[in-house]
Amino acid sequence: MATQVVDHSALKVNQTGIIATVLVSFIGSAFYRPFLVLIPLLAIVLLVGTFAPQYALFKQLYFKVLKPRGIVKPRPVQDRPEPHNFAQGLGGVFLAVASAFLLPVPVIGLALALLVAVLAFVNLAFGYCLGCQIYFQLGKRGLIRAS
Amino acid sequence: MSTQLWALAVVGVVVLAAACLEIFRARRARVKTLGVNAAPASDPYILYFTGEGCTVCRTHQEPALAKLGAVRIDKVDAVADRTLADRFNVYTLPTTVVMSREGHALHVNYGYATAPKLERQLAEARGAGLQAATA
Repeated sequence: MATQVVDHSALKVNQTGIIATVLVSFIGSAFYRPFLVLIPLLAIVLLVGTFAPQYALFKQLYFKVLKPRGIVKPRPVQDRPEPHNFAQGLGGVFLAVASAFLLPVPVIGLALALLVAVLAFVNLAFGYCLGCQIYFQLGKRGLIRAS
Repeated sequence: MSTQLWALAVVGVVVLAAACLEIFRARRARVKTLGVNAAPASDPYILYFTGEGCTVCRTHQEPALAKLGAVRIDKVDAVADRTLADRFNVYTLPTTVVMSREGHALHVNYGYATAPKLERQLAEARGAGLQAATA
């Protein structure tokens, strides 16, 4: 499978959106519980964005608003989008599980959501993408077609 | 508020456990890999394990390797060449292995390795080669 140009600024905006949403939900819910609804909403946004990239909210925010206005500069890199999409989907699944725990066991729900935010931060700050590494391992074991 | 603090504590424990596990895993893989043989060469060289889906390889590792100058770098697709990747216990990408001219693995770097680190390891590999030649 050939590489294509992936705008890494779009990925960074996506990661920033994930971190910001989880943090607002986490801190906000300490004072006003309905803020927790942001977590299932974020799960939906990530899962929809994985299967229909044209509806990926944060990436669209980048392509339609931030990039045309010059607020965020594009950073095209020869890359494959599949591992990033896989990582985003994994984040969405974790947030969906977190959402299921939010009412019965809020500690687990919040912890899972925070974990997704921590991993998004690690990717944003250090370029280490855990989901991409899992994608590589699955490809190496022949469980998904990774190359 | 106590729910948030407990959640924070749980995440802290998970992150700490993951970091310890990663250190243990890298150390074990390194011990298993050191001394593994590959083809001999006239000078120390680098085995560079990468993959099409490895972003850090393109954005960080390849520019670092380009700074090394005239060093032989054998690029290996870790997904396509699983046998070689398994022999060097490649569990993460990028992975770089500094090989002696006799074809022994001298240094293994799991994850991104900076140019100065690789230069230092290559210098050690050259020094070890000279010592072996004069002994």
